[in-house]
Amino acid sequence: MIPATYRASFSYLLRHPWQLALSLIGIAVGVAVIVAVDLANASARKAFLMSMDAITGEATHQVIGGPRGVSESAYARLRVEQGVRMSAPVVEGTISVDGTSLTLLGVDLFAEQDIRSFTREAQPDASAGSGSSSLFTGFLVTPGVAMTSASTAEQLGLTVGDTFEVLADGRTHPAKLLATIPGESSGGLDFLLITDIATAQEWLDQAGWLSRIDVRIEDGDAAALEKLRSALPDGTQLLAAAGRTRSTAEMSKAFMTNLTAMSLLALLVGLFLIFNSVNFSVLQRRNLIGVLRALGLTRRQLLAMILVEAGILGAVASGLGLMLGIALGEQLLELVSRTINDLYFRVSVTSVSIESFSLLKGMVAGIGVALVAAAFPAIEATSYQPRLALTRSSLERRARHILPALTLIGFLTMVAAVLLILISGTSLVAGLAAVFLLILGFALCVPLFVSFASTLTAPLAERLGGTTARMAVAGITSGLSRTGVAIVALAVAVSATIGVSIMVDSFRGSVSTWLEQTLQADVYTGALRGSMDPELIEAIRNLEGVEDVSTRKRAWVEDANGRTQLRVFAMPPESYVGAELLDADPADAWPAWEARDAVFVSEPYAYQNSVGAGDTITLPTDHGPRDFAVAATFQSYDINASGIMMSRKTYARHYLDDTIDSLGLYLASAVEADAIVTQVEELSAGWQRLYVGSNANLQRESLRIFDRTFVITDVLYWLTLGVAFIGILSAMLALQLERAREFATLRALGMTPTQVGGMITAQTGIIGFLSGIASLPLGVVMAYVLIKVINRRAFGWQIDMTVAPDILAVSVAFAVGAALLAGLYPAYRAGQSQPAIAMREE
Amino acid sequence: MSETLTSIQLRGITRRFREGEREHIVLDGIDLDIRQGETVALRGRSGSGKSTLLNLIGGIDAPDAGSVTVAGMDLTRLSERERTLFRRRHIGFVYQSFNLVPTLNVADNVRLVLELNKVPAAQASTRIDALLAAVGLADRAESYPDVLSGGEQQRVAIARALAHEPAVMLADEPTGNLDDVSAEGVLKLLDKLVRDRSHTMLIATHSQYVASLCDRVLELHNGRLEETTSRSR
Repeated sequence: MIPATYRASFSYLLRHPWQLALSLIGIAVGVAVIVAVDLANASARKAFLMSMDAITGEATHQVIGGPRGVSESAYARLRVEQGVRMSAPVVEGTISVDGTSLTLLGVDLFAEQDIRSFTREAQPDASAGSGSSSLFTGFLVTPGVAMTSASTAEQLGLTVGDTFEVLADGRTHPAKLLATIPGESSGGLDFLLITDIATAQEWLDQAGWLSRIDVRIEDGDAAALEKLRSALPDGTQLLAAAGRTRSTAEMSKAFMTNLTAMSLLALLVGLFLIFNSVNFSVLQRRNLIGVLRALGLTRRQLLAMILVEAGILGAVASGLGLMLGIALGEQLLELVSRTINDLYFRVSVTSVSIESFSLLKGMVAGIGVALVAAAFPAIEATSYQPRLALTRSSLERRARHILPALTLIGFLTMVAAVLLILISGTSLVAGLAAVFLLILGFALCVPLFVSFASTLTAPLAERLGGTTARMAVAGITSGLSRTGVAIVALAVAVSATIGVSIMVDSFRGSVSTWLEQTLQADVYTGALRGSMDPELIEAIRNLEGVEDVSTRKRAWVEDANGRTQLRVFAMPPESYVGAELLDADPADAWPAWEARDAVFVSEPYAYQNSVGAGDTITLPTDHGPRDFAVAATFQSYDINASGIMMSRKTYARHYLDDTIDSLGLYLASAVEADAIVTQVEELSAGWQRLYVGSNANLQRESLRIFDRTFVITDVLYWLTLGVAFIGILSAMLALQLERAREFATLRALGMTPTQVGGMITAQTGIIGFLSGIASLPLGVVMAYVLIKVINRRAFGWQIDMTVAPDILAVSVAFAVGAALLAGLYPAYRAGQSQPAIAMREE
Repeated sequence: MSETLTSIQLRGITRRFREGEREHIVLDGIDLDIRQGETVALRGRSGSGKSTLLNLIGGIDAPDAGSVTVAGMDLTRLSERERTLFRRRHIGFVYQSFNLVPTLNVADNVRLVLELNKVPAAQASTRIDALLAAVGLADRAESYPDVLSGGEQQRVAIARALAHEPAVMLADEPTGNLDDVSAEGVLKLLDKLVRDRSHTMLIATHSQYVASLCDRVLELHNGRLEETTSRSR
C-alpha cells in the first residue's frame, strides 16, 4: 500500500491536472526530440552499414585503384597467376530506374561464391528452370538481366520477368528482372541492383575496368596477406574492408553530432521546464510539507518523497516521449537521409529501426533530468522548519537573496566555456560542450537581469498604465522564483533561434558570395552521374557562340588514411579569379598549379590536416604514392573537407583517366546563355542525358540544396521553442493558481475580468519582452561560437558573420508573441476568478 | 422608514448550494433593512451563511430568489459586469485575512481602488495621505505588506476599503486573525472611521465585543435572521 504521505503528495498533483499534464508534456517532448534524432541518425547509419556489409559480404580486404579503378587484367593476373582464389571483381556505380536512385553492383557469379551469399538465395522465375543453375545461365548468356531485393522490386513495381529501363551514365539501357532476393536474406540489399559484371561495365561505360577486387583472407593468415600485398599490381592498394566502410560513414559524423547537440538543446530547455514544474509543485505544497514535517516526517523522508515523485513523473513522461520520439523519428529520418544523400553518401532507408540503446538513452535522460530538476527544490523544501510553511514572500526573499551568487556562478561558467574553447584545439565535442556551458552560465545570469529590468521599468509602467500596469511588472519580480525559470527557458530557446538564424544567414551569405565568385562560366553542363561522352564534349565545344570551355572532373583517391576528393580542372586563365586563394600570391600560385606537380588545398582540408601554402602532401596515384607541393589554400564551402584542386595536366601525369564530368561554357558577349542551354539540350537529346543550366540557375539550385539541408535544423529549433512555450504556459498557470486569492480580491475590489485578464496579459507580454531582450546577447554570442568554433571544427569552414537586425527584431517579437499566446488561457482563468474566494479563509 | 434613508434592503432572499445530490438552503427568504449610517453586527455559527449574505450585498454573488437593493440599486437586476462596477464604486470590503496585494506597497494598495474609480492622481495622493494618517500608518506608506504586522495589515485594508468613500462597508471577521490587543485597536478605528463618515457597515463576527460596538446585532440561524439587540447611539 502506498504510504499516506505519498498519497497526500500525489493527490496534490492529481488535483492539478493541467500542471501535471504540462510537466509530462514538457519532459516528453524533450525526450522525444532526443530519441527521434538518435533513432534517425542511428537508422541512417545502420542502413548504410547494413548495405555496405551486404555489398562487402565476406570480403576482409579490397584491392582498389585510382579514380578509374582497377584494370580487369590486374584481376586476371591476381587470380590466375598469383593464385588468389578467394577474390571477386566488383563494378559499382549509381543508376536510376524510373526516377529511383539505385546502387548498381556488377559481380562475377563464378567468383562470388566465396565472398557473397545473397546471389545463391535469389529466386528466379519459376518457369525458368531450377534454382541457381537457371540464374547462372541467365546471368551468363543474357545481357541486361538483373536481380534485386523483393522489397525493392515491389517498390519499383517489378516482378520477375519484367523488362524496364535503366538510366546509367546519362544513357538508357534495356534491362530485365531475372530474380529477386527474398525478404529475410535481403537485409541491406534494398535499392541495390545486381547484374553480371559485363552488363555493369557496359552500363557505366567502364569497359575493361573494375571498381575494386574483393578479397577474403582467413583471420590471422598473415602470410596470405603478405603474399597478396607483394603481388599487387602497380597503382593499386590493399585496404581493410571494414576500415573503408568506417571512413565513409565517418564523413557524416560531424553532421550527426551537430544534430545530436540540437536535440540536447531541446532537452536542456526541457530541463528548465521540469525544474519549473517540480519547483512549483514543491512550493505550492509548502503548507502540506510544513504539516508533514510537523507530524514527524524526516528531512530524508521528505527528500525521498519528492525525488520518488519526480522519478515517477520522469518515467511516465519518458515513456510518452519514447512513443512520440519513434513517431517523430520517422519524420526526421526522411530529412536526415535526404541531407546525407545531398551531402555525403547514398543511403536508402525508409523506416526507423528501433534501437533499444536509443530508447534507453531517452529514458535515462528523461528520468535523470526530472531528478536533477527536482533535487534543488527538494533540498530547499527539506530546509523548511516543521512548525510552519514558509510564506511566499519569505520564499521570494530567499530567491532574490541568492541572485548575486547565482549570477556569479553563471559568470564563472561562461568564463569556463571560453577557456574550454581556447584549450580544446579542434575538438568538436569540446566546442559543443562549451556552447552548453555558455547557455547554462548565461541562464544563471538572467534572473538578476529580470530583477533589475523589472525594477527599472516599474515606474515607467505605472506612468503608462497606472497601478495595474505596475502590478503586472512588479508581479514578475515578486514571483521571480516562478517567473524567472520560465523567462530563462524562453530566453534560451529564443537565443538558440537567434544563434542558429544568424549562423545560417551568415553561412548562406558567404556561400552565395562564394558561388558568385566561383561560378565564372556562363553555362554549365555535365553528366547526371558518371562522365560525359567525349564526342558530345567536342560537339558542345564547337557550338557557335561558345568561346571557351573549362572542364571538371571529380575523382576520389583513397589510401589507408581515408578518401580524398580531387577536383580536376582545365580552365582558361580568365576564370582563375573564381578561386579565392587565401595564403599565396595568385601570380605565383597559378603557374605552379598549371605547370608543376602543385595543388591547391581547400580551406577545410588545410584546417583539418594542418597544411598550407609551402607544405607538401602525399597522394595515392596510379603510379604509387606521390608528393605534391601545396601552392595555395583556396576558399571552399564544399561539404567534403577533403577537397584538393588539381590541374588537368597534373592529373593526366599521375592518373590513367581522361574522363570529364562537366563543362563550363564561356560565351561570346552577344550570346544569350538561355539560347546555348537550349542548344546543348537539343544536342544531347538521345545521345546522353545531361544537366544544363545557366550560371544563375546553378546558383539558385545550389542555394536551394543549401536551404534544404537546414530544414531539419528548423524543425529542431521549432520543437525547442515548443518546449519553451509549454514552460511559459505552465508557469503562468501555476502563478495564476498561486495568486487566485489575490486576483479574487482584485475582482472583489471592482476590477472587471477584462482588467484582471489584461493585467496577466501585460505581465506575460513583459515576460516575453524581457526573455526576448535577454536572449539577444546570448543569441549573438551563440552565433559567433557556432560560426567561429563549431562550424570551423565540424567542417573547417570560415564564415563571415553578419548580424541582420531583422533577425533580432523578429526574435524579440516572437518571444513576446509566444509569451502572449501562452498567457491567454491563464489570463482568461484569472479573469474568471470568483471574488467570493477572497472572502474564504485559507 | 423612509426609502432614502435605507442603505441596504433585502426582500425574500434565498440562496441554495448544491452538494452532490443534496441541496442545501443557506439563506431562506431573508428580509432586512439597514439604514444609512447604521452599523450592524451579523452573528451566527460557522457555515450559517454570514459570508454568503455579505457576498450577496456586495454584489459578488446573486440570490436564487428575492431582491437585494443597496444604495437604491437593485443588484439582482444587474449583469455581472454591472455588479462589478457597482461594487467598485459603492462597496468597501475588509477581510479576515487582509487580502492586500503583496506586490504593491501600502500607499499603492490604497491607490489601486482610487485608480479603479478614476480619482485624479493629485486628489488620490491627498486622500491616501489622510487615510494612512487616520489609520496610524503615515510612516509606512512605502512598506510592503509582508513586513507589516497583522494589525497593521488590517489597518491598511481598512484604509483601502474607505478610500473611495463607499456607501456600504462589509467586513468579514475583520479581527479573526488578530490578537486581542490588535483586534481592539482595529475595531475601535474601524468603528470611528465608519461613524465619522456616516458609512453603513455590516460586519460578520463571532465576537461579543464586536457586536457590542454595533447599533444592531442580527443572528443568522437555519437560514433565517433574528434581531437580538437594537440600540440607538
